[in-house]
Amino acid sequence: MADIDLQSDALAGIRVVECGDFVSASYATKQLADLGAHVIKVEQPGRGDTARRRGPFAGSPDPERSGLFLYLNSNKHGIAVDLERADGREVLARLAASADLLVHNVAPEAIERLGLDDRALRARKPALVVTSISPFGLTGPHRDLRMHDLNLWCAGGVATLNGGGPGSDDMPPLKGFGQQAGFQAGLNAAVGSLGALLSALATGEGQLVEVSVQECLTSILEMTYEFYPYMGLVASRLGQKPIAPLDFLECKDGWIFICCVEEHQWQRFVELAGNPEWATMELFDNRMSRAANWDALNIFLSEYAAGLTVQELYHRAQARRIPFAPVSTMGDLLASEHLKTRGFFAMLDDGNGGTVTMPGAPYRHAATPWRIRKRAPRLGEDTDLILTELGYGASEIAALRAAGAVA
Amino acid sequence: MSAGKSRRKPLEGVRVADFTWVWAGPFCSLQLAHLGAEVIRVESASRTCVTRLLPPWPDGQPGVNRSGYFNQYNQGKRSLALNLKDPAALEIAKDLVRASDVVVENFASGVIDRMGLGYEACRALKPDVIMISLSGYGATGPESEYVSYGPAQVPLSGFSSVTGYRGWRPMHIGISYGDPTAGLQGAVAVLAALIHRRRTGHGQYIDLSQWESTMALLPEAILAYTMTGRAPERDGNHDVLWAPHAVYRCAGDDRWVSIVVADDAEWRALAGLIDPALVEDTRFATVRARKQNEEVLDELIAAWCTSRTPEEVRDLLQGAGIAAFPAMTNRDLHEDPHLGSRDYFVELPHPEIGARRHMGIPYKLHGTPLRVWRAAPCFGEDTDWVLREVLRYDERRIAELHAAGTLS
Repeated sequence: MADIDLQSDALAGIRVVECGDFVSASYATKQLADLGAHVIKVEQPGRGDTARRRGPFAGSPDPERSGLFLYLNSNKHGIAVDLERADGREVLARLAASADLLVHNVAPEAIERLGLDDRALRARKPALVVTSISPFGLTGPHRDLRMHDLNLWCAGGVATLNGGGPGSDDMPPLKGFGQQAGFQAGLNAAVGSLGALLSALATGEGQLVEVSVQECLTSILEMTYEFYPYMGLVASRLGQKPIAPLDFLECKDGWIFICCVEEHQWQRFVELAGNPEWATMELFDNRMSRAANWDALNIFLSEYAAGLTVQELYHRAQARRIPFAPVSTMGDLLASEHLKTRGFFAMLDDGNGGTVTMPGAPYRHAATPWRIRKRAPRLGEDTDLILTELGYGASEIAALRAAGAVA
Repeated sequence: MSAGKSRRKPLEGVRVADFTWVWAGPFCSLQLAHLGAEVIRVESASRTCVTRLLPPWPDGQPGVNRSGYFNQYNQGKRSLALNLKDPAALEIAKDLVRASDVVVENFASGVIDRMGLGYEACRALKPDVIMISLSGYGATGPESEYVSYGPAQVPLSGFSSVTGYRGWRPMHIGISYGDPTAGLQGAVAVLAALIHRRRTGHGQYIDLSQWESTMALLPEAILAYTMTGRAPERDGNHDVLWAPHAVYRCAGDDRWVSIVVADDAEWRALAGLIDPALVEDTRFATVRARKQNEEVLDELIAAWCTSRTPEEVRDLLQGAGIAAFPAMTNRDLHEDPHLGSRDYFVELPHPEIGARRHMGIPYKLHGTPLRVWRAAPCFGEDTDWVLREVLRYDERRIAELHAAGTLS
């Protein structure tokens, strides 16, 4: 604990145990680790975290070189403990008693069996906060349903808001890229956990924080949910948008998103486009009529965009305070002068002689900056060290290893 | 320590001066309100929050206090109306900052400084203040003053280039995904800063770029590019490894079910339900084979789903240990017995629209229960209360400010 620096790390000295698999719990504790918390990740011996097998991989699949795992678990320490065994669960209980917060995303039916019951853990350490992330929370008829990220995106009502539109109304509801249900759950779990930690700091009393992934997603439906309780209307992704232009256009070298919500933005865009004759047509008189006549407008706009590069149109529009944005490719993001100037991307030693470039700080604290301190742990990398810290002797550790309780 | 004290909400006693609007900023301060902070939203009639002007409105009747969009994301906050073009109003805003622990704002970069309420100004008023700016592009960099709208953040952040049907153009996510993401990231940042302040006595400034905070959720695509030189292709609802992994049309009008099979045992269970002959079919026997033959696989499953409702598919598959769930609409959520059983929905009285249902708090703190204490405020509803109870102005001064048009 020599490296506790309350001045420069917001969460210095806060000890977190994570029994997380894949994205949600891992992302929750990543946020805390990146702000200075001491996070110990508990993995199943032999198997390890699902993210280890997901990639992306620079070469052939290797559980120590999965990009998603490295991203989600940098700054953490690792121990491998078999929670199916009683001696493994005792290790976990001692570990939890040394911590301020434990975060897991174990299925509700398995919580007690794996030694993660919050009452039992808090009986040994009343100040402990235990955060449980599960698809539907710890109560209710759907509690034990089996759910993956796509199922959750559907259960939260986000999927039905996307896809479709003119010419594609027969296509299915469409998810956003990646494990977004997991990320949203991780964000909410971090908020709830930090709230409970603030309470525990003040009162010495821990508690259970319960996060339902479905509820996390229902809380980000913009204004669409309220269309039902307010107006009796079912929100649909199908058909025409109410206002335009708010759409994707293809330029010479890629795609741009054009966005004129306010009339003055449209007027400035028309000027930018050189006051073409079509812009004076009554069909395109206001944002609603532009939406109603989108098929016609799309033809003119596409022709205009096709003569420009994405960057030309983006910067020219923004110079006139029109909120267009490039449809950034991953290459565009890495090449962005703006992001380079801000130093957004983080470079991480992957521990195998290589460097991985990954997303960096999502926010910048002036006094206690987000930072990467170390790469993600190899499976069981810190097992001996952590057990020693907990007071296990060398022979006890050897016995636990021999029994398969730790690795 | 009394039992009563320990059940205080985590942020009781924390006051937030909330200069936010639209969605990202209000979503950030909503989390703080959920956790018990006293959040005072400063609003101006000359710059009404966009969400107050958008539908849905009960009975289709517009009104600044009637929008479901505003009312969802401002639950449990107070509203202070200030005409910030009036120098007297700016002085009131400064008094509010003096009395606050946290300042939240999401104007475009530079705007709050020009108003005279930038971080240096706020720190001069309240030395240990925590201030967060949630701007589209961040406080520095060549594009920092660019205009940012919620729908444009999705393409800007890279999501659209990897989201969409295979072979189709880039697509959206269906919501302005950067806004709630930035709001939650911002709440995490503020809470960490509050812990820091509680232990050191120091406040600080936090610069949040919505663009950056949204890219934090795109590591698989970004790392695919930086590690292999190739970004993932748009591939609908499919997964890089698992198949089936899709949303299938069911019986009914635009009704769909999601099905995900993660391993071979699950596949055998699903195949047994669809057609026992499929269990032995080598085209689908391994995860690699299923991925290679995904198109045929999707057709088979889609054909089986057409005659069944999403709920029938869910029940049959879940009964066999397979992940399946309907794609829920807003009405489905409204009527969902599971959500309804969890004390999650919030239906509090509102003076203009009665008690309407809203989504509640997704994190339940069992030891210090969180509960939305009041519906979203009407415009300026708490102006007098804030001036009297928080800023300790006397009645005469308040009346004069009203008469001068400062409080609008």
